[in-house]
Amino acid sequence: MQLIDRAEILSRRILAIDDEEANVRLLQNLLQREGYTQIFGLTEPKEALSTYIEWQPDLVLLDLTMPEVDGFQLLEAFSRHDAPDEFRPVLVLTADTTIQARRRALALGAKDFVAKPFDVVEVALRISNLLETRLLYERLQTGTAKAADRSAKTIG
Amino acid sequence: MSKPRSGLLNRFWTDRPLAFKGLVVVALPLAVLLGSLISLYVASSAETRAEDDVRRAFAIQRDIYQVHALLAEAATGVRGYALTGEERFLEPYRKAQAELPPTLERLDVAIEDEVVRRYFVDLLRVTDEKRESLKATVELARLPEPASADEVETALIANKLALDTVREKIDRIQQREAVVLDERRALVDAVRSRFLALTAISGLIGLLGSLAAVYLFSTGIVRRVNRLEHNADLLARGEQLVDLPEDADEIGRLSSRLVGASALLRERENDLRASEERFRLVIERVRDYGIFTLDTEGVVTSWNLGAERIKGWKADEILGQHFSRFYPEETRKFLPDLMLERARSDGSAEDEGWRVREDGSRFWANVVITALRDEAGALRGFAKVTRDMTERRRSEEALKLAREDAEAANLAKSEFLSRTSHELRTPLNAILGFGQLLEIDLDNFSEPHQEAVERITKAGRHLLSLINDLLDITSIEAGGAELDLETIDVGEALAEARDLADPIVANSGLTFELVEPSVPLSVVADRRRLTQIILNLIGNAAKYNTTGLFVRLGAQRSPGNTVTFFVEDDGLGVEAAHVSRLFTAFDRLGQNKRSKTEGTGLGLALSKSLVQSMGGMIKYKPRTPGARFAFTLPSDAAPKPALPSSQTTGTQPHAID
Repeated sequence: MQLIDRAEILSRRILAIDDEEANVRLLQNLLQREGYTQIFGLTEPKEALSTYIEWQPDLVLLDLTMPEVDGFQLLEAFSRHDAPDEFRPVLVLTADTTIQARRRALALGAKDFVAKPFDVVEVALRISNLLETRLLYERLQTGTAKAADRSAKTIG
Repeated sequence: MSKPRSGLLNRFWTDRPLAFKGLVVVALPLAVLLGSLISLYVASSAETRAEDDVRRAFAIQRDIYQVHALLAEAATGVRGYALTGEERFLEPYRKAQAELPPTLERLDVAIEDEVVRRYFVDLLRVTDEKRESLKATVELARLPEPASADEVETALIANKLALDTVREKIDRIQQREAVVLDERRALVDAVRSRFLALTAISGLIGLLGSLAAVYLFSTGIVRRVNRLEHNADLLARGEQLVDLPEDADEIGRLSSRLVGASALLRERENDLRASEERFRLVIERVRDYGIFTLDTEGVVTSWNLGAERIKGWKADEILGQHFSRFYPEETRKFLPDLMLERARSDGSAEDEGWRVREDGSRFWANVVITALRDEAGALRGFAKVTRDMTERRRSEEALKLAREDAEAANLAKSEFLSRTSHELRTPLNAILGFGQLLEIDLDNFSEPHQEAVERITKAGRHLLSLINDLLDITSIEAGGAELDLETIDVGEALAEARDLADPIVANSGLTFELVEPSVPLSVVADRRRLTQIILNLIGNAAKYNTTGLFVRLGAQRSPGNTVTFFVEDDGLGVEAAHVSRLFTAFDRLGQNKRSKTEGTGLGLALSKSLVQSMGGMIKYKPRTPGARFAFTLPSDAAPKPALPSSQTTGTQPHAID
């Protein structure tokens, strides 16, 4: 059962961060083929946080091992910035296959973890699923807000 | 050791027990005294007897006079009667008649002398005659017709004659008695003078006996006790004892015990001295340890060869010097005192640090200072044992460095592995990702391009499995592979492998056969790794069995509490020449000949590492036709392998059929 419109998912903003340009290109290419319209590729991790704050992506695709600012630092910065009740999923895509890296990334708030080299079909499916979850979460929050609004009016 | 003795008696005397000597010393004067008393008694009783005799002689004389007097008076009375006829003249006669018999009787008892008795018997006879004649006269006078005067006169004359005879007899007795009395008196005098002499002699003997007792006491006891006391003093001072005769009494035995004790003491002393000497020699010759002693102030009092060797000073150069000069400048002010203080309070003090040699060079020393105390607990000084630890410290440091190097190398290796992995995967991600995208659009390409895309992705995937296997094998060999050991049911593991292997085998056009164990078995292994090994072997069999019909998987119990898994096929098998290189990495045997097959060439090497890391062994055995690969794993009941690492190659090899 498709809870969310495919079009609504495809319209969401996706930020891809990887110091290897080829990999950013691969993700852009893959996502475009899938039909996504708002994709932002970054090879400079230093710019990641400001882009994250300014552009407000719905999903982040994040590499871990990068020069100057690595993925773990970014994960910490993202969760510091986000409101506590915000669900903005980060999918970690990394060539670091050690169990330590996997645990650390998930502990720092990453919602999913895929080892490179990845299967493009699998990654596309995970992206779509995570976005769907985010939309459902948004809908739930709006519903609660409306309900609160209504009840506030009724009481008022 | 006994000195020549003056005589047998002396010898006899000193050999008697003390009790005997005491008895003699006390009894001798007593016996002498007793002898004197006895002789006194004897003398005095002899004197008494002699005096009694004298008294008796006087009594006899008196009684004889009495007899004479009575007879004389009776005779006078009778004469008067006869002449007058008056009765009153008979009074003396009657008195004589009454008193004579008892007097004579007394005399009979009293007279002892033979001669006197003989006279007495005469007297008795005469007295009787006299009494008879008196009686006859009296009767004559009483006749009614008075007797003729003649007759009376005759009778009176007879009486007078008889009386004379009596008097004569009495005189004789008196004379004899006087002689006897004189004899007795003389005897009494003799006895008295003998008694005096005896008393004098007794007194003399008593004096002599006392002197003898004192002498005996002095020679037999006092002098010897004094000598013994002197020896005891010598013993107490630990000096040589004076030789004393080996007498048999208590003092003699005590003396010989003292000699024994002294000998024992000297023997022990000699032993102790010998042991001390040996100990001193040993200490002196010890070369590897500097052993020396300090007085209570820290001044060196002894010095051994080891100390000379380690520190450089010779004994005569350092004796009398304070030991603080062994310490380098920076610790000399406080450490020596501190060490002595600690040794004083705790019994010993240990320290490790820099010390200086005579030439000023430094060495790393281990030092133990021990407080030396006498029995009373008073501090006598310190013993110091110094070891030159410079070499050891150097080698310890080298060892530490080597260990650190090894650890760093290991760390670097792991680091390198994970970095390599990362660095290889990153570009491969792009290659495979884009390749996959191209594959999705494959229909849009011309045929040569399609083939190129396929080649790219295939080579990429091959490269990926190569990287995976290589990292796997390296990390297992580095001991870094994480094994998740658990007890696995063999039937279950086989079934799981079959599900995965079936399509692979079928793809090669072969039949997959499963030989299940006859009894339930279990092994201790990492489930994922076990499946990996089985699939690897099955993959190989399916790949290389180009001529046969089947691939067979099975498991069975094997000796040594293990389970053997095996994978068989009926293909061409392995060429004999290649068997020895089967499990070597990258050695793809005859790959060029059987170019159809593909693989990383790491499969068997990886399988071997994995099996060994789980405590088992893997082996190849040819079949006709075909090949058989078998590996063991410890059974459930077996003790777990020591460590999940490649080191387990050292564990008990299990037989493989």
